[in-house]
Amino acid sequence: MTTLEKYTQVFTDTFGITDEEAKNLKFQDIKAWDSVGHMGLISAIEEAFDIMMETDDIIDLSSFEKGKEILAKYDVEIK
Amino acid sequence: MLLKNKNAIITGSNRGIGKAILTEFAKQGANIWAVARKQDNAFIDFTKELASEYEVNVNPLFFDMTDYDAMKKAVMDIRKEKRPVDILVNNAGIVKHTVFQMTREEDLRNIFEVNFFSVFLFTQYITKLMMLNKSGSIINISSISANGYPTESAYGASKAAIITMTKSIAQELGSVGIRANCLAPGFIKTDMLEQLPNNIIEEYTNFTALKRTGLGADIAGAAVFLASELSSFISGQVIRVDGGLR
Repeated sequence: MTTLEKYTQVFTDTFGITDEEAKNLKFQDIKAWDSVGHMGLISAIEEAFDIMMETDDIIDLSSFEKGKEILAKYDVEIK
Repeated sequence: MLLKNKNAIITGSNRGIGKAILTEFAKQGANIWAVARKQDNAFIDFTKELASEYEVNVNPLFFDMTDYDAMKKAVMDIRKEKRPVDILVNNAGIVKHTVFQMTREEDLRNIFEVNFFSVFLFTQYITKLMMLNKSGSIINISSISANGYPTESAYGASKAAIITMTKSIAQELGSVGIRANCLAPGFIKTDMLEQLPNNIIEEYTNFTALKRTGLGADIAGAAVFLASELSSFISGQVIRVDGGLR
């Protein structure tokens, strides 16, 4: 499994959406990605990539795309 | 056994109330990460004895709650074990009695660092693990001092802050199956209590309905209740365990 597949799967599993729906997803686009859903997403990302994110990064992770940029800071390249 | 196969984290578990909770949780079948500040061989032996006697896992974890890098590493180590974290008992804390107008800024900051900021951050980390399983019970050890007593303006305020934090967590995380409650011990026989003058202990003991100071086991029993399914519809509450203090 590539890191992109793994990353996408975190979104699809957390929010119950398809791969296609995940790709352009932004915070609060869907009901499931509210503030509580956000923390569930963060927990799942952290577990999947064995990292612990700084609070500023948790706040900044506002979309599927933005998450890729943020993960690069933790030496996780999504490709 | 009320906590059979549950996994619990207990901070400040090497003495006083924390050690009593550790012992009772093991007796009730919980597997435990037993957090203590300093590496201590006698405590390691104690955890091995508990594990053997009650056939549970008791893993000592040593780090200073105010060392946030060490805290993060410990949380990552816990996560790597791939066991759900069902229960968090935030017990570690310090007490210092000072007259309000003679409380040094340094002491005030230290009390809040240990009793509140570290608890806040540790709970942030651990609730993320609980969210993976959509369940958990957080038990924060506050104090009756949160109500305001002489010489406890700093300590009491830090414990009052814990109560407010607990109530907020209960509201925010209830929808994902996480409960949060406080225990507010009264006068319990611990090293901390011994810092108080004898006449004050005696005076306050006389104000309890049960006419005695509490034991660590008294708090541990209440903690087991809040950790177990017996309290499955209780969240955001403060339970005083004070012998009926007036």
